[in-house]
Amino acid sequence: MNFNTLLKKLMNKGNSKDIAKKRLKFALLTDKLEIKTDTLGNLQRDLVEVISRYFEIDTESIKIDIQRSEESSALIFNTPILSAHRQRGIPAA
Amino acid sequence: MDGKVVVVTSGKGGVGKTTISASLGAALALQGKRVAVVDMDIGLRNLDVVMGLENRIVFNIVDIIKGRCKIKQAAIRDRRIDNLYLIPASQSDDKNAIKPENMVWLTNRLRKEFDVTLLDCPAGIEQGFKNSIAAADEAIVVCTPEVSAVRDADRIIGLLYAQSITPKLIVNRIVPEMVKNGDMLSHEDVVEVLAIDLIGLIEMDDRVVVSTNTGTPLILQEESKAGMALQRIALRLDGHPDLPIENPMDKKSFWKKLGSRFSRKN
Repeated sequence: MNFNTLLKKLMNKGNSKDIAKKRLKFALLTDKLEIKTDTLGNLQRDLVEVISRYFEIDTESIKIDIQRSEESSALIFNTPILSAHRQRGIPAA
Repeated sequence: MDGKVVVVTSGKGGVGKTTISASLGAALALQGKRVAVVDMDIGLRNLDVVMGLENRIVFNIVDIIKGRCKIKQAAIRDRRIDNLYLIPASQSDDKNAIKPENMVWLTNRLRKEFDVTLLDCPAGIEQGFKNSIAAADEAIVVCTPEVSAVRDADRIIGLLYAQSITPKLIVNRIVPEMVKNGDMLSHEDVVEVLAIDLIGLIEMDDRVVVSTNTGTPLILQEESKAGMALQRIALRLDGHPDLPIENPMDKKSFWKKLGSRFSRKN
């Protein structure tokens, strides 16, 4: 052990490489959760198209968002239903 | 049999791609292979000066693609090392002058003439990178033990996987003293984060600057630790994949040093 390491140990400071590794792992994780700007827009358009086959929805007040926490991330889609399309019914599978 | 095409890439700039491309090319040629090293950085060429061939450029890669010359006319033969050729980039063209399909065409021609074609990829993930990986069979990702370089390497590795290429990693510019003090990521840390196989470890080496200053191949300098490491990487790249990787952290012990000093005198 050389003088610098000893000094660090005495001052109870962590190694800078440990900080680097921690920051790196976190950065890579959030990088992978990042979504292209137009991806959410495209997803919203497709979702509206599918849901509109079954329900009449207010396309203005739709909210789509990704919520991240340290543990996981969730896709939140929120839309008020105005009414169900009774006449058309559910298409045969 | 057709030769293979290997791209040297990193994402981040300034981590040693060009030096590594030039040295691997020289090492493979010295090992008896026919080698072409191609500068893929259209508009910002540098491989020519690192290889010391900048005064001999007549045609470049864009001239080949546009049909203004034959491949043989653009490929510069290294007079110091047999069977080593450089295809320089264009300095005046836009980086969009070449498209991936042009590179597939060019490398298919090069495969007939050369055992190994090394593509020195520009930094970034734009056109030059897309051109380089479109034509490659294998990839070497270069990374220094820094947060920024490792992060970019991770992105590059993802893009290579998307092209069905499984890259190998070089950790460059390791400073053993700093790793020992806990002030630099060790190669084990980098490998753990990136989760790919190593092809070599290169220690920080002042000789690289000297070699670039003069344009002489690094691997011809006997004292160069980086040069030695690169020669071993070249062997691993071509025919000897299981050659053990030397760890710069394993410094020679005092007694071994003493022993080698005595044996040199005798």
